[in-house]
Amino acid sequence: MSTPDIALPLSPSELGVPSVPGEATGHGEGGPAPKRIVVGYGFWIFLLSDIIMFSAFFATYAVLAGATAGGPGAAQLFDLRNVQIETACLLLSSFCCGIASLAVEQRYARLTQVALLVTGLLGLAFLTLEIREFAGLIARGAGPSRSAFLSSFFALVGCHGAHVSAGLLWLGTMMAQFYAKGFRADICRRYLCFSLFWHALDIIWVAIFTFVYLLGAGT
Amino acid sequence: MNDIAAQNFRGGAGDLAPGQSHESPKSFAAGLGSYLVGLALAIGLTLASFWAAQTHLIYGPGVVAALVTLAIAQMGIHLVFFLHITTAPDNTNNVLALAFGILIVFLVVTGSLWIMANMNHMSVPMDELMRMQP
Amino acid sequence: MFGNLTWAAIPFDQPIPLYSAAVVGLMVLAVLAWVVIKGHVPYLWREWITSVDHKRIGAMYCMLALLMLLRGFIDALMMRSQQAVAFHAAGYLPPEHYNQIFSAHGTIMIFFVAMPFMIGLINYVMPLQLGVRDVAFPTFNSVGFWLTAAGALLVNISLVVGEFSRAGWLPYPPLSELQYSPGVGIDYYLWALEISGAGTLISGINLVTTILKTRAPGMSYGRMPIFCWTALASNLLIVAAFPILTATLAMLLLDRYLDFHFFTNAAGGNPMMFVNLIWAWGHPEVYILILPAFGAFSEIVSTFSGKPLFGYRSMVVATMAICVLSFMVWLHHFFTMGAGADVNGIFGIMSMVIAVPTGVKVFNWLFTMYRGRVRFSTAMHWAVGFMVTFVIGGMTGVLLAVPPADFVLHNSLFLVAHFHNMVIGGVLFGAFAAYEYWFPKAFGFKLHERLGKAAFWCWFTGFYVAFVPLYAVGLLGMTRRLQHYDQPEWHPWLLVAAGGALLIFCGIALQATQLIVSIRSRRRLADSTGDIWDGRTLEWATPSPPPLFNFAVMPDVRGEEPYWGMKRKAIEAMQLSAEPSYEAIEIPRNSPTGFVTAFFAFILGFGLIWHIWWLVVLALIGAYATFVVFAWRDETESVIPQEEVARIDRANRAARALALTEMTA
Repeated sequence: MSTPDIALPLSPSELGVPSVPGEATGHGEGGPAPKRIVVGYGFWIFLLSDIIMFSAFFATYAVLAGATAGGPGAAQLFDLRNVQIETACLLLSSFCCGIASLAVEQRYARLTQVALLVTGLLGLAFLTLEIREFAGLIARGAGPSRSAFLSSFFALVGCHGAHVSAGLLWLGTMMAQFYAKGFRADICRRYLCFSLFWHALDIIWVAIFTFVYLLGAGT
Repeated sequence: MNDIAAQNFRGGAGDLAPGQSHESPKSFAAGLGSYLVGLALAIGLTLASFWAAQTHLIYGPGVVAALVTLAIAQMGIHLVFFLHITTAPDNTNNVLALAFGILIVFLVVTGSLWIMANMNHMSVPMDELMRMQP
Repeated sequence: MFGNLTWAAIPFDQPIPLYSAAVVGLMVLAVLAWVVIKGHVPYLWREWITSVDHKRIGAMYCMLALLMLLRGFIDALMMRSQQAVAFHAAGYLPPEHYNQIFSAHGTIMIFFVAMPFMIGLINYVMPLQLGVRDVAFPTFNSVGFWLTAAGALLVNISLVVGEFSRAGWLPYPPLSELQYSPGVGIDYYLWALEISGAGTLISGINLVTTILKTRAPGMSYGRMPIFCWTALASNLLIVAAFPILTATLAMLLLDRYLDFHFFTNAAGGNPMMFVNLIWAWGHPEVYILILPAFGAFSEIVSTFSGKPLFGYRSMVVATMAICVLSFMVWLHHFFTMGAGADVNGIFGIMSMVIAVPTGVKVFNWLFTMYRGRVRFSTAMHWAVGFMVTFVIGGMTGVLLAVPPADFVLHNSLFLVAHFHNMVIGGVLFGAFAAYEYWFPKAFGFKLHERLGKAAFWCWFTGFYVAFVPLYAVGLLGMTRRLQHYDQPEWHPWLLVAAGGALLIFCGIALQATQLIVSIRSRRRLADSTGDIWDGRTLEWATPSPPPLFNFAVMPDVRGEEPYWGMKRKAIEAMQLSAEPSYEAIEIPRNSPTGFVTAFFAFILGFGLIWHIWWLVVLALIGAYATFVVFAWRDETESVIPQEEVARIDRANRAARALALTEMTA
């Protein structure tokens, strides 16, 4: 059924087909991709949509950054020392997540759980610092209701924090699943998705500490 | 999609999932290298960012450009060393999707900034407008 | 205990919503009672509600859309009749109610008619056209559908409990802020759209992954049917644009619930930022709606002209160009709102540029028909009607894209007529054409042709009679959303427009009749082979309706045009190709995850709207629990035995062999 006996007129759909089936062209003529690729790619697309959502919050922050309504601005409010520690926590957390990925690949059960635990604890440390920062700002009368600048700050950084929180909940569930069911194929695929998520959150944090904190505190 | 069907074909053979660095797992130590290098570079660039924001050694208006460049570099480090995004043909779909996302982010952010700046320039300031209310 | 919810939420003092809610409520109860008493619940639960089959989910999306079309159309009838009588008079709809009606009309038509119909269509047809068994994430697909349904339910509940938004289908601040809209209306709107928006995003991710990563062996990008290309572009736009909607509505929610100041008048807020962001979503949204319709028309025109689509590659390029360009024109929705001439000029030019790829498509359809043997089936009627109507609407759009012209016409009925021209002429006509075209594939019998053509003519003439007067009255200066008016020049036009709405009502009535008559005559109208229109793409290789697993053996399209080449070979050789070797097929198991998630989403939305915080917490816990239960599943697939696969496929092969002998005899 592969080559027609009757010569059909050359149609555009026949152009550009590689002669060797299955070669890595990204063109997908080899048939449906294995599940790992399908799941990973689908989650990648979700991550891109999430990044676009963050960009809407970033755009709003950029537009409203000057609208302090006579209240405190970035230079008065941001504690860069705190941001440095938060950044370190998240970066190390990302690294541990990578260690856990390697451990999952090699099926080292104990190392997986330890690495995941450290990832989670570092993430929790990040979150604690951030909540403390928010509480401090609110106590100083610089809560989100004070001005549009603060509203957009709390929303952007808060959105990132909400994603981290959801990630920690997911991480806990993943640890339970690895413990209960071992290194089953679908659980490993889910871990691939989690690691994509966690690394992406660190990428977004780079944008936040650069454009919100560093640029803000500098003005 | 089930694995039996996928195994019947050399399906999408050679394509890599995002976050996957190779078809079959190498040893732990070999994979560790990538993460260690990424961590070192990221730490270096992060420290550079914090330093650049506070130093007086960089020409004032150039600080913004420096920070933007460092941020992009840090994101690139994450993408290459932690997410294993490469330019090889088995990563084409992943890169294309990423490029599309970046394009949209660029359009939304710069478009919004341009439009809103233009409007703010042309509009009466809000507090003045409120004072004009009867 | 119940937050802000009291008995006062039920509109006892407003007869129209009260009686309509009562009537609808009784109808719903009657249907539910009939279903339960006749014992259909196990079947519905097993085969539809918990189904993860893309065909079932696609059909449910379309059913939801058609149902909500009725609700949205009734709103339209009310608006037209109110404007027909409210000349120097108050009409029969008080302003607070009229405002809710036009807001509900727009919201329902865009989010719960047009979107679900297009997504449902793609869901049903695209995997069949790609030659695969299901979408990439079947259970997720079910979640996406049920979340959309939960959003629709929230909007409809607002008729009975509380009120709906009065701020139009896009709730501009500061009107939509808490200070000027203290009721629950805006909150119903916001939560319904956040929930259904999540469902839509899930769909987008699912369908993009399916098209890019799961296709039959040999199906390169250049062999993909054009409908799948437009589905890809549309879903890429969903993935890119809906996050912006989610973020923007979330900001408005934060303003309303937690006293943030994104868009308020006070404390430095900027209402224009809402307008900017919402249209950065809003413009891609209309391309999300129209691209699948373009794809459907491409398939229909090609099939009923008996020729391959003219200029396939230029169609693909035009589609992907539209995909990218749609993110570069959004300011044309607010030319009048204070940006300078340079900004207005650039976006105006881009708006004209984006008309070019669409023009390329129209020419390609015309050239496909040229020198073809055109069969004017009902679907083809809709296609030709679309070409005429959409081009006219497009021309008024290019007119509006000129900023100085837009300054005169913005927010007039001219604008209203323009976008209805595009959405009805493009999206709705496309939906109806696709409905006629793919109904036999989905249900095994075609729709009654003559009733379908009569319905088309009522819709077509009704559309022009209803909306051309609106162009006129817009040029005469009438603004949109007027509950009453005093200009005598407007009155006759609005009377004619009301007549047009009645003509459209006749069209809808004929479509309902067509469905009933077709069901009753289904044996006479049956599709025995699965290829009732002499189609060119792979979905016509399956029986009608396709079995659960779609293809007994996954088609290998290496070396030939999908299906058309196979068919030509069989006809030349006067026999079908050799029987394939059958194997057992694994299919994903049904799951109540989607339905249960949506149930908790509905409870969550309702609790948030009425500030019933314990209900919110309960719903969040329930949603998380559902996720954990789903994640903990050990059995994810069930197996269809080889004998069953063989039996179904052999039956279809026999029917096709019979048709082949009858053809060549």
